Amino acid sequence: MNQPTDVSESLLRDVRLHVFEETARTTRVPQPAQIASALGRPEAEIQAALQQLAAGRVLILAANGTDIWAANPFCAVPSPFTVDAGGKSYFGICIWDALGVVAALGKDAVVRTCCGDCSAPLELEVTGGRLTRGEGVIHFGVPAHHWWDNIGFT
Amino acid sequence: MLLFRDEEHVTRWCDTRNIARGATITPEQGWRLAHGWYKDKLRPDWRRHTLEEAERLLADVGLTGPFWNLRG
Repeated sequence: MNQPTDVSESLLRDVRLHVFEETARTTRVPQPAQIASALGRPEAEIQAALQQLAAGRVLILAANGTDIWAANPFCAVPSPFTVDAGGKSYFGICIWDALGVVAALGKDAVVRTCCGDCSAPLELEVTGGRLTRGEGVIHFGVPAHHWWDNIGFT
Repeated sequence: MLLFRDEEHVTRWCDTRNIARGATITPEQGWRLAHGWYKDKLRPDWRRHTLEEAERLLADVGLTGPFWNLRG
């Protein structure tokens, strides 16, 4: 993976805002070439900005070190955690982040997943900023101070 | 972090995968934690929580003790 290089604060802000606004608007997390095109900047600059944002845990890069795996809480690839909100469907990295998608969007939403053990479908619903329907229990397998040791596993 | 039907399913999932059982929280705690953690993520003036702010978020949801200690 490339080491982060110095990037201006204004570019970091522009990339961050574009990634998250575009994800919220389209449900798709934009990737480096798309970000470069949208912002009219060289892709190498965008890559450097993404490296720095990842180092700051603003987002998470894929194993190839270049693509965005998650603009957390939004997951860039299909996952077992879907969020239906405002007529759109998003993916979260995990159940916490799926609820985080709801919080970030600030909309009524239904989170759909399945039991990690038996695969039975489970749903959580948020209405008016409150959890209005919930079932099951959320399991955290990794102690809090190790969450970022391997965020994919966490 | 996964959602399970109940505690029994968590135990079975951990046992069959030889994974140490962690901690469980209710969906209500999960929602409150997610809301505090992510409600500002789309805002232009978003910034990461400080360690102290993150600790307060966990404590406000009732998540205290060694498992929830962010300092290691």
